[in-house]
Amino acid sequence: MKALMTLLGACCISTSALAFEAKLETVKVGSDVQTVERGMEAMMNACHSCHSMKYIKYRDLVSFGIDKQKVDGWRGDQPMDAAMLAQMSESDAIQAYGKASPDLSLIAKARDGGASYVYSYLIGYYVTPEGKPGNHIFPETRMPDILGMSGVTDAAQRAEIQGKARDIVSFLVWSSDPHEQERHTLGYYVLGYLFVLTFLLYLVKNQIWSRLK
Amino acid sequence: MPGRIIRWIDQRFPLTSFVKHELTGYPTPRNLSFWWNFGFFAGFVLVLQVATGIFLAMHYKADVALSFDSIQHIMRDVNYGWLLRYMHATGASAFFFVIYIHMARTLYFGSYRSPRELLWWTGQGLLLLLMATAFMGYLLPWGQMSFWGATVITNLFRATPFIGDKVVIWLRGDYTVGDATLTRFFALHYLFPFLIIGAVMVHLVALHTVKSSNPSGIDLADKDNIPFHPYFTAKDFYGLGLFLIVYSVFVFFLPDSLIEPANNIPANPMQTPNHIVPEWYFLPFYAILRSVPNMVGGVVAMGLSVMVFAFMPYLDRSRIPGGAHFRPVYRVLFYVFVIDMAVLGYIGYIPPTTQSILIGQIATLIYFILFLLLPFLSKVEERWLMKRGLPPEVEALIESESREKSKLLQRRRQGDVA
Ligand code: HEC
Repeated sequence: MKALMTLLGACCISTSALAFEAKLETVKVGSDVQTVERGMEAMMNACHSCHSMKYIKYRDLVSFGIDKQKVDGWRGDQPMDAAMLAQMSESDAIQAYGKASPDLSLIAKARDGGASYVYSYLIGYYVTPEGKPGNHIFPETRMPDILGMSGVTDAAQRAEIQGKARDIVSFLVWSSDPHEQERHTLGYYVLGYLFVLTFLLYLVKNQIWSRLK
Repeated sequence: MPGRIIRWIDQRFPLTSFVKHELTGYPTPRNLSFWWNFGFFAGFVLVLQVATGIFLAMHYKADVALSFDSIQHIMRDVNYGWLLRYMHATGASAFFFVIYIHMARTLYFGSYRSPRELLWWTGQGLLLLLMATAFMGYLLPWGQMSFWGATVITNLFRATPFIGDKVVIWLRGDYTVGDATLTRFFALHYLFPFLIIGAVMVHLVALHTVKSSNPSGIDLADKDNIPFHPYFTAKDFYGLGLFLIVYSVFVFFLPDSLIEPANNIPANPMQTPNHIVPEWYFLPFYAILRSVPNMVGGVVAMGLSVMVFAFMPYLDRSRIPGGAHFRPVYRVLFYVFVIDMAVLGYIGYIPPTTQSILIGQIATLIYFILFLLLPFLSKVEERWLMKRGLPPEVEALIESESREKSKLLQRRRQGDVA
């Protein structure tokens, strides 16, 4: 029996190892306003021309704590309640790249690996030996190397790009679930309350059961 | 004043006698372990699902063009909408988790045996209703997994003899899963919980007729039964506290661990996801479906794997009390079954490879062999245990309980006790 289980386990491990083609770089995203704001700025400059953020309204940015003047600059004459649509229309993107550029407001939750996937994808560009652009994570991607990772070899410059990618991903993580921090805070209160309540219920139960002989 | 109101009601409705009969005086074996809490948890989760579901339905839009966005509207703009949605999504998993433990407890302690067959069968009906409700609810967010999961599963009904294609169209309301499917699934997803509530009532009436089984598997005499209230209400609420702690950890800190990333991509009929997986609670049955190379065979095997539990009262022919507790052979079968379920669940989750398909087929075979061997093994085990003699403490318990009962019967005959 034990031998059979070991055998089963070994088979399972080997099949799951096959399922991952490329290893993802894990990224520690920031959830503070400064990081998200930096990521937001980088995203507006580098990605917003092609990608929309349709579930984010300009008002959400302000209520999260991002500088109102910056937000006003980005939205121009659009109302506060407008969604952050892309500058490029979907049909234009299909014309230019053969594929629509997906909306990014949920992207950090829409891929296996989440934030780490997006981060690894953004910095995963390289130049193949034949001199063609390639990507370790998504080899057949149609998106050009926006952050310019494949062009630089200097360690300091690469670190700078990685930092920028991390900021962008932090923003995308926030936008995929703007209530995450509120959820965690409430969660601690709820758990604290439940621990006290359960302890009291435990005492009540013991008290009542002690009446039995 | 309250006394007068109660009296007024009692003359018109059996309130006091109902409470006394079903709660304050309802005899419950005092040796019930914490495994007996899970039925109460299931009832609680049912209420939770209905409550959160009704509020979600106030903001949700069942329309292929709107439903994905309406979920994001709930998650982002509705006050505490994220809480409602995560409670409901996590609640579905919690429901299955609790029900599977409830079923495992019944199997382990042999609670399905005479006279509790009807109780067990109403439970089987509840399981089917729960599965149908969860399956239809999963379509509503209209993500990639919602769409492709519903497509794959409704497609299975093609296996119906002669009218297969018609049945599939009838279920979907269209040739493919689309708006007609979404609206009907929403309507039924709202209806089924109320059918479940009705079936739970029947389940409870059956329970209160035959009373709870208990870990010893022996019908206990009156002295070992205690009133449900306050003893088991106190115990159930303490258990509920523990359950809610686990539930809250998932709702507040790990809600996305139970949602497939692909379901955060809007449904796209033109693009099949790399690999389609159902929710975790369907994985073992899904693995059985995939293990049979032929589609009709797979559907039959899957249906049988869910329905086979109903046959347990007849498959298990042993009269030794106490389920797996006093039965070494049955206990081994039980644990093999649990491990087999886990293996099947894992195989259902990973993308199929020749290796994993083979493991899945072996696990499927083991699954059915366990049930097929049971009538034979339970009889052999019974004979062996009878010959060897039951453990002394069991013998003693059976004897003392029957002595207690005959004493009571005698006193009753003499008119001592009512
Ligand atoms: C020139 C237009 C353009 C710009 C600028 C651009 N993208 Fe893209 N992006 C695309 C296209 C086109 C695709 C679709 C690629 C595909 O599926 O092959 C895409 C896809 C993606 C994806 C999804 C990959 C997947 O797994 O399907 C992510 C994530 C992404 N882009 C992030 C970004 C970020 C972050 C930026 C800013 C640093 C950015 N993009 C800038 C055009 C662009």
